[in-house]
Amino acid sequence: MHRLTRACAIGLFVFWGRLPAQETSSDQGRLIQELMARIDHLEKRVAELENQPKAVAQGVAPRAVVPVAPPTSAPAPPPQPSMEQMPGMENPQPNIPVETPVPVYPSLRFAGFSDFDFEAADRGFTGPDHHATNSGFTEGQFTLHMTSVLSQKEAFFGEMTLSARNDSGTAPAGSPAGSHLEPGFNAELERSIISYNYNDHLRLSFGRYHTPINYWNIAFHHGQWLQTTVSRPEMVQVGGGFIPVHFVGGLLEGSLPSGPLNLNYSIGVGNGRGEVISRGGDFADINNNRAWLVSIFAKPDHPYRLQVGGAAYRDEITLLGDHNFREWIQSGHIVWAKENPELIAEFANISHQEVGSSVQSNSQAWYVQTAYRLPGAGRLWKPYYRFEHIHVPASDTLFKDAAVKSLAGSVAGIRFDISSFAAFKLEYRYQRRQRDEPRLRGVFAQTSFTF
Amino acid sequence: MRFALTFILLAVPPVWSASLDLEVQRPRLLMASAVRVAASGAVTASGDIAIVVRPDLPIDTLSFAELRKLLIGDRQFWSSSLRVTLLMRAPVARERDVILKTIYQMSEAQFRQFWISKVFRAEATNGPKVVFSNEMATELVAAIPGAVAFVDAAKVPQGLKVLRIDGRLPGEKGYALR
Repeated sequence: MHRLTRACAIGLFVFWGRLPAQETSSDQGRLIQELMARIDHLEKRVAELENQPKAVAQGVAPRAVVPVAPPTSAPAPPPQPSMEQMPGMENPQPNIPVETPVPVYPSLRFAGFSDFDFEAADRGFTGPDHHATNSGFTEGQFTLHMTSVLSQKEAFFGEMTLSARNDSGTAPAGSPAGSHLEPGFNAELERSIISYNYNDHLRLSFGRYHTPINYWNIAFHHGQWLQTTVSRPEMVQVGGGFIPVHFVGGLLEGSLPSGPLNLNYSIGVGNGRGEVISRGGDFADINNNRAWLVSIFAKPDHPYRLQVGGAAYRDEITLLGDHNFREWIQSGHIVWAKENPELIAEFANISHQEVGSSVQSNSQAWYVQTAYRLPGAGRLWKPYYRFEHIHVPASDTLFKDAAVKSLAGSVAGIRFDISSFAAFKLEYRYQRRQRDEPRLRGVFAQTSFTF
Repeated sequence: MRFALTFILLAVPPVWSASLDLEVQRPRLLMASAVRVAASGAVTASGDIAIVVRPDLPIDTLSFAELRKLLIGDRQFWSSSLRVTLLMRAPVARERDVILKTIYQMSEAQFRQFWISKVFRAEATNGPKVVFSNEMATELVAAIPGAVAFVDAAKVPQGLKVLRIDGRLPGEKGYALR
């Protein structure tokens, strides 16, 4: 009877998982509850019947007895347990029963994110009498991430993206002169990390990371579904250049014994920026000076889900023509990740000084984003607003050459969660750059999801 | 009979996979059940959720904050040689609802997004293992060193250890998980 009820329960969950997500009615919920209650009742009845002689003899309530395996370094296989998994949970193949929880190494599992977008935007004047207005659909990033547990202490994490670009491919023979590039998809290895976890206080890893000096950069990565908004803040825009988004090297991370403060740290050494400053030094460092970073953040017990932290980053950048710049970054963030309300605020100051020059320039960027998941019947809706600001002084020749510009802008929008794994977002965006630069006004819509 | 029951079960549409609508189920199990005496000798009430581990785990008590750190994956090791393995009841179970409500303070959808994000950030290699009954949870706790499960306090079998939360056992006044 135990097997029958368990098989039925597993069959139920497997079937649910294979069907497409759809709206839940209160009748269905009630039926599920009744069925689950029935299964519990049957299991309880079977347990009572199995233990009846003993219970009657002792005059106490029946109780199942589980033999405990002797402590061993390797887990003993349990008696035929079955398991199932939701995305993000233990089972690498969602909704497929797993016969044993005994780990098998290596265990490779895949998951992904993607999005599709629509925009109707006025990107500013391009001539005295007409505006450049864009509208249409765009394919978002297709993000694939893979996790493989290599042993109890070792794990690999990889993340690849395919991005639609108008300059990713090579034009076929016969194309007009000068058009050597054509639209296509750009493949990129975003993260590739091998880590060794000694314990909670010490984790050593090597690879290609999102530089851990900025909250957004390491909390949301390329999964648009994870972030509340359609767009990323400009200071962490992929390809934007303000913050070094990627970092190739090694990291030492962990928690510090700090009581209710729950301090965590990261110490890293890597290649720093490449000759194109929006990219990390993937192939090798462009000079003989490694970049290093130190970050520390607290996740106090109270208030729950508050995080406050800061980071410092140091690098030397060599541009084409052997122009060397020293770069210092100081950053800070405060985040309250609860959704009622959600608050994310970040600040970064970047100092550049050309080697041999006495001129030092400081560029700043910050943003504040707030959102609120509506209560009750409106809980699928989450309105949000973000203001962001970037100031790049004229003296910052490094950013000037790399087209990193000042900006002020706002986004306001609303997110609707279609299901647990997909969302619609609608956003109005307004951005202005320098005085003589075109302004952006537009409406952006996105459906993003995980799979 | 088997075919009929299986048919009924399979005919039910996918409720929890779409499940922002099923945030918190009302308690549905044994609220009025009698108070029982657990293997440890403590008085346990069936409405409370017990934190169950193997008896060879060298920990007897956790603060509520430490328990939360375990559950949100901020603490992944009991010691350098022993990993924490979280066992969570599947959706709709009361034990899961209590844990989500009191410790995570999240809806079912927020809980899923939380763990997907955590794995995506490479902060954890996997989320909690899903179990479908208290019996399955206790069997796995007994079998897996470092496993921790959350079961109805009235259904804790002999041979497993119930952890104190802030110095209190299930059934005691002020116990956090109920």
